[in-house]
Amino acid sequence: MDFNPCMKHKVVRKAVRMFAEAELGPIAHDIDRNARFPWEVVEKMQPLHFFGLQCPKAYGGAEMDSISYAITIEEVSRVSAAVGLLLTVHNSVGVYPIVRFGTEEQKSRFLPEMARGDRIGAFCLTEANAGSDAGGVETIALKEGKEYVVNGTKIFVTNGGVCGTALIFAVTDPQNPQKSAGVFIVERDTPGFTIGEIEDLCGMRANPVSSLFLEECRVPEGNLLGRIGDGIRIGLVTLDTGRLGVAAQALGLAQAAFEDSVRYSKERQQFKKPIASFQTIQNYLADMATEIDAARLLLYRACSLKDAGKPFSAEAAMAKLYCSATASRVTNLAVQIHGGYGYSKEYDVERYFRDAKVTEIYEGTSEVQRMVIARAVLAQRT
Amino acid sequence: MLKMVVCIKQVPMVSELPWDPKTGTLKRDLAEGMINPACRAALDAAVRIRESEGGEIVAMTMGPPMAEEVLREAIALGADRGVLLCDRRLAGADTLATSYTLARAIEKVCPDFDLILCGFATSDSETAQVGPQLAGALGIPGVAYVDEIELTGRTVRMQRLADNFLETLEMDLPGLITVTTGVHAPRHVPLGGLQDAFTGAEIETLDAKALDVDPERIGVKGSATRILNVYSPTSDKKNIVLTGTPKRIVERLFERFDDRIGGTIGKDLKSDKKKS
Repeated sequence: MDFNPCMKHKVVRKAVRMFAEAELGPIAHDIDRNARFPWEVVEKMQPLHFFGLQCPKAYGGAEMDSISYAITIEEVSRVSAAVGLLLTVHNSVGVYPIVRFGTEEQKSRFLPEMARGDRIGAFCLTEANAGSDAGGVETIALKEGKEYVVNGTKIFVTNGGVCGTALIFAVTDPQNPQKSAGVFIVERDTPGFTIGEIEDLCGMRANPVSSLFLEECRVPEGNLLGRIGDGIRIGLVTLDTGRLGVAAQALGLAQAAFEDSVRYSKERQQFKKPIASFQTIQNYLADMATEIDAARLLLYRACSLKDAGKPFSAEAAMAKLYCSATASRVTNLAVQIHGGYGYSKEYDVERYFRDAKVTEIYEGTSEVQRMVIARAVLAQRT
Repeated sequence: MLKMVVCIKQVPMVSELPWDPKTGTLKRDLAEGMINPACRAALDAAVRIRESEGGEIVAMTMGPPMAEEVLREAIALGADRGVLLCDRRLAGADTLATSYTLARAIEKVCPDFDLILCGFATSDSETAQVGPQLAGALGIPGVAYVDEIELTGRTVRMQRLADNFLETLEMDLPGLITVTTGVHAPRHVPLGGLQDAFTGAEIETLDAKALDVDPERIGVKGSATRILNVYSPTSDKKNIVLTGTPKRIVERLFERFDDRIGGTIGKDLKSDKKKS
C-alpha cells in the first residue's frame, strides 16, 4: 500500500494548477459576481483535452486514469468550483455514458465533438417530481416509425444554458418507469428542444444551470443509448462516476478554503499576535487539515478501485458523502476564521462557502449516498 | 531534418516553497520541482520552429532521478524524446562542469545537431553562464538573451533587447541560442500529451561511464567555483507609525527627523528653531 502520489499524478497536479491559477485565478471572482460563463477559458481548455479527460484517445480524448481525472477536477475547483462543475458534468455524466454504453456508431458520431469541447454535455434526470427518485420521471418518449417523439421538462440542468449535447432520461410507459426508462442523446439544434431561463442560484453562479424543454422533439432511434429498459441502470452507473467528480470538486473547494485560512490566520493580528497563535484557531486548522486528508484518501481509493475494474459504487458514495460534508464544514470554518471579512464578497471564502453547499445536494444528496452505503453494508454483513 | 536539443533544468517551485526564517534559506527538502521558466521558453521556441520547419526535439537535463519528471513534462509539451544525465559523480557541478558534461552528452546523443536551445538563466541560481559556456565547449557560435527566432534555411535571425535597443543578429547553423521569458507566454501542458508522456515515452538515462567523460572535469571535482554561502539579504529599515492629533504628529515628525526634512527643503530647521 503506497500512499505517495506517483510521478505522473504529481505532474498532472502541477500542470492543472498552473493552468487554473494563470487562466482562472484572475477571473474566478468576477465570473461568480456576474454569473458569467467564461467562454474565453473554454477556448483555452479545448486544445488541452479538458473536455475529453477520460475519453479514449481514438475519439480525441486524453484517456486519463481516474486519479488523474480526480486531481484535474480538484485543481480546477480549487480556483473556480463553477468551472470544475462544468468539467465534471461534461466529462463524467456527458461523455462517459456514451463511452460506456454507446455503440461504435454513436461513439464516432458524438464523442469527437464532445471531447474537443465543441459540444458541451449535460445529463438531464431531474424534473419537478423526480430527483432522488429516478422512477418518478414524467418525460415521455413515444416511438413513431424510426423516431422517438419526446415531451417533457427537465429542471436544474447543470451546463443547461451552454449544452450542445444533452442526455435525456425519459420513459416510454409512465405506468412502468423501471422497465421503460431510456437515455436519449439529444442535440441542441433538434427542433422542439429549447433552453429555459438561467437559474439564479446561491453558488456555482458561473455555471448556467437551466431548465430544458422538449416539445414534440423528434429524436432518431439511433440516438437511444443502450435499449429501452436500460435507463435506470445507465443512470446508476453514470452517477457512480459522477460522484467521483463531485467529490473531487468538493475536495478542491475545501483545499482552497483551508489554504486561505492558513494564510489569513498567520497575517491577521488580534491582541498584538497573529490569530494562528491562538489555540482555538489552531484547533480549527487541525480539524480542517485532518478532514481534507481523510476525504482525499477516500476519493483516491474509490478512483483506484474503478481503474482496477472492481466494484466502487459504495466507495464512490462514501467519498462523495464525506468530501461534500468536508467542503461544507471547512468552508464554514474558513468564514469563521476570516471573521467579518469572511462574510464579505471581497474575500474568496465567501464564494467557497456558497459554492460548497450544493455538493451535498447534486449528483445524489447526502441522504441518497447514505442509502447506497447502507445497502452495501447490509448486503455484506449478516 | 532539423535536429534541436533543448537543455532544461528542474528548479524548485519558489511560489510553493517555504523559507526558513532562521537561516534565510529555502527549505529545499519541501520543494516541488518544475521546469525552469526560461528553459520552458526555450522548449516553446523549439516547438514553434518545428511547427514551421519540421524536425526533431531532444530534451536533455542533468539532475537526480527525480528530474525525470521535467523530461516527461517536456515530452508532453512537444519534445520527441528525453535524455537524463544522472550520476552521483555529476552532482555539485558548477556552470563550467555542467557545460562540459552537457557538451559531451550532446555529442553522444545527438552528434549531428543543428540548433541547441537553452533558457537564458535559471530561477534558482541566475548565473546565465551555462548556455554561453556550452557553445564554447561545443565550439559553435552562441547568442544569449534572445526574444525572437526566425529560421531561414541554415540561417537563424534573432532579435534581443540590449540596453533598451532592439538588436537583430544572424547566425549560421549549427549554433546555440539562450531564450528569454519576455515575449511569448508559456504554453500550457496538454493533458492528453501528459498521459502519453508517462505511458508511451522512454527516457534515456546516461551515467558518467556511458557519457565517457573525464572524471576530473565533472561534478564537484571539475568545478572551478564553490558556493560558500546562500542567504537572503536582510534590511534594518523599519516602518514607524506616528499617532496622535495632526499637530502632535507633525511635531513628532520634526522632533525625530528635522535634520533630514530640513535637508530636503534646503533649510536648517534646528537653527530656525533656536532663532525663534
